[in-house]
Amino acid sequence: CGQYNKILKSDDVDKKYAAALSYYEKEEYEKAGALLEDLMPLLKGRSEYEKANFLYAYTKYHQGLYLESSFHFISFTQTFPRSQYAEEAAFMNARSLTNESPSVNLDQQSTVQAMAALQEFMRRYPQSKYMPDANKIYDELSRKIEIKAFESARQYYKLTNYDPQYYKAAVVSLENFRKNYPSSVYNEEAAYLRIDAQYNYAKESIESKQRDRYAEVITMYQTFVDAYPQSKFLRNAENLYDASRQALEKLSKTPAAAPAAATATK
Amino acid sequence: QIRLGVGSTSAATIDYANPRKYKIGGITVSGAKFLDPSTLISLTGLRIGDEIDVPGDAISRAIQKLWDQGILGGVDVRATKIEGDNIFLDFFLTERPRLSRFDFSGASKSQAEDLQKSISLNKGRVVTDALLNSTRTTVQKFFQDKGYLNAQVVIRQTPDSVIANSVALEIKVDKGEKVRIGELDIERINAATGESRKEGFGGFISGIWSDSDEVFSETQLKRKLKKTKEKKFYKVFTGAKFNKTEYEADKKLLLDFYNSEGFRDAAIISDSIYKISDDRIGIKIVVDEGRRYYYRNISWSGNYLYDDAMLARVLGLNKGDVYNREELDKRLNYNPNGNDITSLYMDDGYLFFQIEPVEVAVEGDSIDIEMRLSEGSQATINSISVTGNTKTSDHVILRELRTLPGQNFSRSALIRSQRELSNLGYFDPEKIGMEPVPNPENGTVDIRYTVEERPNDQITLSGGWGGGLGAVGTVGLVLNNFSLRKATDWKQWRPVPSGDGQRLALNIQANGKRYQSYSLSFTEPWLGGRRPNSLTVSLSKSIQRYNQQDEFSQVQEAFIDISGASVNLGRRLRWPDDYFTLSNSISYFRYNMSNGSTIFRGYAEADQITDANNISFITSFARSSIDNPTYTRSGSSIGLNVTFTPPYSLFKGSVNNFQWIEFHKWMFDASWFHSLSGDGKLVLNTRAHFGFIGTYGSKGVIGPFERFKLGGSGLGGGSFIVATDYIGLRGYEDESITPNAAGGIAFNKYVAELRYPVSLNPAATVFVLGFAEAGNNFGTYREYDPFKLYRSVGVGARVFMAAFGLLGFDYGWGLDTVPGRPGANGGQFHFIIGQQIR
Repeated sequence: CGQYNKILKSDDVDKKYAAALSYYEKEEYEKAGALLEDLMPLLKGRSEYEKANFLYAYTKYHQGLYLESSFHFISFTQTFPRSQYAEEAAFMNARSLTNESPSVNLDQQSTVQAMAALQEFMRRYPQSKYMPDANKIYDELSRKIEIKAFESARQYYKLTNYDPQYYKAAVVSLENFRKNYPSSVYNEEAAYLRIDAQYNYAKESIESKQRDRYAEVITMYQTFVDAYPQSKFLRNAENLYDASRQALEKLSKTPAAAPAAATATK
Repeated sequence: QIRLGVGSTSAATIDYANPRKYKIGGITVSGAKFLDPSTLISLTGLRIGDEIDVPGDAISRAIQKLWDQGILGGVDVRATKIEGDNIFLDFFLTERPRLSRFDFSGASKSQAEDLQKSISLNKGRVVTDALLNSTRTTVQKFFQDKGYLNAQVVIRQTPDSVIANSVALEIKVDKGEKVRIGELDIERINAATGESRKEGFGGFISGIWSDSDEVFSETQLKRKLKKTKEKKFYKVFTGAKFNKTEYEADKKLLLDFYNSEGFRDAAIISDSIYKISDDRIGIKIVVDEGRRYYYRNISWSGNYLYDDAMLARVLGLNKGDVYNREELDKRLNYNPNGNDITSLYMDDGYLFFQIEPVEVAVEGDSIDIEMRLSEGSQATINSISVTGNTKTSDHVILRELRTLPGQNFSRSALIRSQRELSNLGYFDPEKIGMEPVPNPENGTVDIRYTVEERPNDQITLSGGWGGGLGAVGTVGLVLNNFSLRKATDWKQWRPVPSGDGQRLALNIQANGKRYQSYSLSFTEPWLGGRRPNSLTVSLSKSIQRYNQQDEFSQVQEAFIDISGASVNLGRRLRWPDDYFTLSNSISYFRYNMSNGSTIFRGYAEADQITDANNISFITSFARSSIDNPTYTRSGSSIGLNVTFTPPYSLFKGSVNNFQWIEFHKWMFDASWFHSLSGDGKLVLNTRAHFGFIGTYGSKGVIGPFERFKLGGSGLGGGSFIVATDYIGLRGYEDESITPNAAGGIAFNKYVAELRYPVSLNPAATVFVLGFAEAGNNFGTYREYDPFKLYRSVGVGARVFMAAFGLLGFDYGWGLDTVPGRPGANGGQFHFIIGQQIR
């Protein structure tokens, strides 16, 4: 340790750089990082500058300081776009951001940034050896965003027990999910939950609005059956459909609904 | 300096009018003595073999890249030769010296330290003219802000012999005299005189008719300049420094004041700053006041939803009122303390609503205004998004929001959501963002919430002296945003599993054998995640031992040991309104004691108690609409808390009153907050508290437990006993207002407190307060009199730090003497720990 402090205080640039490299080799990244940080302004304009920059970013990465490593990898690619390390740096930037991506129920800003970084990487280095990894990470991240969106929409459905106001909120948010993630695996469940929420929404509505809202359940069910004929939710959805049909039948018999229906057909 | 070398000796000619493609045949660097040529070439981003346009972007980009490094004084690009399609480039570089060290002279050590933080001189950086200039300006401004208006800064460069191509800087500061404002003069021309006042309406200004002709006195106007003050010998606390930016802001304040009083033509015609002596300057401001204006007719157009009368009522301005543009805007657009026209529409989904007041006629001193409304169409909320929650789970936030997809947009729902988020305590209340993003093409709006997490777990680790116990150590931990679900996953322990909005509190207090207390409680605010029904489970145990000498100098040993458990279920109500909550709990406490009269002094019956059981049901019905828990500005909280035990004596005849403790206890607490100043900072808090304990039968005896002790800080300082309710009354000694040793059975207390924040920084919210309070505590109902009170006044301060909770001290002065306890009133210091309800 005494040896390290001596080097840290020394003014000999070459000796310091050599020490930094050897600490890096020994995986003592904190020490290597501190030395490189000191060296950086002094190496400016020298041939070692490029590699020092690249390794410095890596020391941050190995210490788990991913936001910092991302920053330094990006600035490396900007300063040395023609460097032999530029491709790796671009990929490592995306990797750093990926490591920052938190669990799905938290803010996904880092996830979105990581995805953007990956897209940029794939666009620039389509022949890269990191391509399979990049694709795999990208899929994981986009799935995360998708789960978050589904969980948020389902949250409104969960709260319907507490307050009937949430029925409409659930219908709208589940529909938004379908629009935003048309190929999601959660679409089947989302579609079913939407029918359920819409049915209950119709049931809780005032009589003059019930007709239109039950009719909406029927339409939703029909699209559901077409899309997922084998669905495990089919049985339950069918029950909702039956109940809605019966309710509509009853509504058409009551005279109160008749004028409303009449104006609707006009 | 930067040019493509046309004038160079080589015969290369470049036609600037017609850019041409060339292949780079070679790149050289010249002029660099200390820098490595190959690195410099790689920095340019150009490579041999690249095809570039000459003249063109590629070269200017290369120059920019080199320039960006900040190590060069000049970059000059020349084409050394052109052979057919090949071009040979040479970068001629001028290097700059680097900074090796810098020193200040003429500045004090602490000033030099402050300066180092604000100037951007880094050792090893290249010294450029821009760097020197900005350093000089920064240093000069630093001293000017401190009142040294004549500060001079000179920077001297000397080559440093130790490191090649480097310089040392000496920053020489000549501060000069500290300049203060010697005189401040506000002169008025066209001053509004007594004649221009309108009799009948609006003429009574500032509460006082003065004999002079002026509407405002000069002193009154000077007071409006908040930061620019005269130095007078009697103004000990006035710095009277001159600060240019503050002065500009103050001039604006002065005009704002005029405008708010109907003088909408008021203007500062001239203002001059002149030198009186080396350390004094004078300021003269000349104001043209103009005349005072009043509203005449206010008409409405474009309103289809509400009629004129309704809108006029909400606006609340009458013919003859003083014209005040600021107040008008407030009532039209956003009024924090009441109704405004915009919220009338915005709360009903009319997001695109717009209103513009147009002055249609100005005659003499009367103004006619036409309100032009554009109601627009209703917008429904489409999607809700939350960002910034790096710790708290989405569902914890979403369930608090009152803006739901599918609903009509409502501004009040938005504001209510902000309040709910702020009340969670997980986010910085000053930084909760709500941004409605309208999509006019389909009549919907997306709402984006942004939050910023703040730490709100509290750790207490303290040692104290008191309670008649000697040294007491406390270890406390309150996790306000705990997650039990994540506790099984080690990866989520950073440092504790958090984000699900649960609360876990753990407290251990001990002083060896004499006193030990343990408590643990856990709260889940949304049991099952589908309804806001809270569940709290708590466990506690405490042991207290006493040694006391009796009248025969025999040591009496006494102890009390209490173990308890309680379960509480609470829920939000939607009736009478949705600020109400109702909670029910059941608790069981077992008391084991010996020589009770030593503990409950003066209560001889307590000797008979050896073991006692207390089963009680507690119902609390409360309403809270406070806007922010740390520094409350508005809202109120009212709560009724009823505790009762089964009425054993009614169906078992005479039972041992103490084996099965029976009582009923009623506590009522009300607290109101009102902002008194325009910026909402000065807050008045008024509170009333009542408490009663009773028995079921007429002959029932009220036991020693759960009684009230009034006085002091309310922390049970003097001789703290468990199972007693300590209530503060500042200005009196701890528990001094207690009718008998065991405690009173009825108390009341009234408080009026004025608060003003010193800092609203979420890391440490600090406010000062002044209070007047009164209270009393009664031993029997016969004596009870809600108006017979012990009064006190005083001042104090509170600091709320996220990690420690609330801390503070008060100095109170008790106005009434306590019978039999001389010295219990009068000046008293109180230390306050934790947020107290009563």
